Amino acid sequence: MSRLLSVEGLTTRFPLAGVHVPIVDESTFAIDRGEVLALVGESGCGKSMTALSIMRLVPKPGRIHSGRVELLGRDLLGLSVTEMRAVRGGRISMIFQEPMTSLNPVMRCGDQVVEAIRLHDEVSRKDALARCRELFVQVGIPDPDARLRAYPHQLSGGLKQRVMIAMALSTRPELLIADEPTTALDVTIQAQILRQLLELRREIGMSILLITHDLGIVNELADRVAVMYAGRIIEQGERTDVLGRALHPYTQGLLRSMPALATPGRRLPEIPGVVPSPAEWPMGCRFATRCQLAEDRCRREVPGATARSDNHVASCHAVEEGRAQAPAGGEPEGAAR
Amino acid sequence: MSTNASGPLLRVERLRTWFPINRGLMRRAVGHVQAVTDVHLSVEAGRTLALVGESGCGKTTVGRSILRLEQAQAGRVIFDGVDLLELDAAAMRPYRQRLQIVFQDPLASLNPRMRVRDIVAEGMRSFGIGSDESDRTDRVAHLFERVQLDAAQMWRYPHEFSGGQRQRICIARALAVDPQLIICDEAVSALDVSIQAQILNLLRELQDELGLAYLFITHDLGVVRYLAHDVAVMYLGQIVESGPTAQIFESPSHPYTQGLLQAVPSVDPQRRGGAPPLSGDVPSPSAPPGGCYFHTRCPLVMDRCRSEPPPVASQGAVSARCFLAPGSGSE
Repeated sequence: MSRLLSVEGLTTRFPLAGVHVPIVDESTFAIDRGEVLALVGESGCGKSMTALSIMRLVPKPGRIHSGRVELLGRDLLGLSVTEMRAVRGGRISMIFQEPMTSLNPVMRCGDQVVEAIRLHDEVSRKDALARCRELFVQVGIPDPDARLRAYPHQLSGGLKQRVMIAMALSTRPELLIADEPTTALDVTIQAQILRQLLELRREIGMSILLITHDLGIVNELADRVAVMYAGRIIEQGERTDVLGRALHPYTQGLLRSMPALATPGRRLPEIPGVVPSPAEWPMGCRFATRCQLAEDRCRREVPGATARSDNHVASCHAVEEGRAQAPAGGEPEGAAR
Repeated sequence: MSTNASGPLLRVERLRTWFPINRGLMRRAVGHVQAVTDVHLSVEAGRTLALVGESGCGKTTVGRSILRLEQAQAGRVIFDGVDLLELDAAAMRPYRQRLQIVFQDPLASLNPRMRVRDIVAEGMRSFGIGSDESDRTDRVAHLFERVQLDAAQMWRYPHEFSGGQRQRICIARALAVDPQLIICDEAVSALDVSIQAQILNLLRELQDELGLAYLFITHDLGVVRYLAHDVAVMYLGQIVESGPTAQIFESPSHPYTQGLLQAVPSVDPQRRGGAPPLSGDVPSPSAPPGGCYFHTRCPLVMDRCRSEPPPVASQGAVSARCFLAPGSGSE
């Protein structure tokens, strides 16, 4: 597979009480053609800001401070505003958590997708509408003709998200950024949408950057996983490695604290404490304040990446020094689920 | 605490809560949102019943109807032998102390202008618990320790706490009046996994120590499997299946429960994909389909399901509203 996107040392900073805090700190990852990379972490870890940085949509007063974002070898951070506008919604599309707030409530669904198509392609309204109908069928919208004329409030949450996906696919993007695409949906509808995304990726070979807090969704959709904590990617690797043989104490803790994997009646293994706010980030490893393996060095020095295999790396002094706990993974202890 | 030795602490029978849809000049009711239709459930003292279902299934309305925050049209809500739906406001008052509720969004349920000490003490003052304010302050300090908060922080305001800490405050407020049953309405759904685990552990410890019963309203099946002794699955205002959690998760008998369990993505890297998801959307509760409410999405639908509502079939401790369920006599 060939490389589609490569992000190197991406740093996005926000001024906070007089200092510039790196909300995304030296992020490095890559996505191949046709690949699904999941960026996973808890709220405030910087996963959405990473996506917005790739799209160059960082809200003020935040600013991309350094790094490279290369799409097929071209650095997006060096493009002019006009050039970037063609990339956005063209070669890279994005869908968000809340389809209702992303759709225009006073415009028919079909017209919104037609507008998106005609923004990037010089086609007649009639052709755009025909293409929109095709897309509606492709993303599994039943009764597409009625839905072309419907307003967003007339559709269920699942259908609205399908309209969003149709709009995102309308310009045949090479990369789809999906930011918590199913978080607002019920599980049975979520299962439908996840299945749909997998099918679309197989049919049209696009890559997906999936942003989520849900390790179950990661397992369902991703090929590779990058785990973020407090602005940094702390572990990265194949899905089966990260979920099955997690190295970093934070990833291990996340997996162990999931109620779906725990034995009923036994205490859930917690990660003690809370995620520190950006103003209180420790200078060494940011997880040191909550890590049971933390030693002096962890609090002083930022850990570098330790590779366990070519495709599985973790940034942790304990892993590097060989004093980390045995890899933990998602094998249920008791009954399945 | 007095508990009726015979039977469960809370028993809900044939509960119905419909909301009128008013239209036109005379605001005449032109239909009803049938939020809750014919709900039966029971919660034993010291145990947890999970009420699960997708959004709009009516699970929150069940909780609110039990507390009489919504007016039920029919049915009985028997708490410790007394039907709460029959009581007038004055007679209901003591029960407001014995039944408490914790909501999903702690920030929205804490008054931003009150110090958390006063938030937690308000219920005590209202029910005459504690001899004076300084006694109540001592009690609040004790409650803070119990929910693992720093008692020195009780003079702060809600916005100064994190999401997990705020939910601990809501739990402390519920505990302050010494309840027997706490309704937890999506109480851990807004929390990150690492914080959620802390709150779930806390709820379990409190149950062991104080013998609390929980009615745990949630859409998260992972939480249900871990926490609940019993589970009731709701779809379009009806309980479609209920029974002991382990049994239902092991071998669900209703096709909706089966679909719901299969839809939860597993974190086991050896397993993914699996059965095709349930198709379609939940029908509108203002116009539920005839026959079995689930027939529009059911992969096993038969002709009679479209016209005839299935009876509740019981086998052992499990009940299911389906012609195909064991014990229905028609499988």
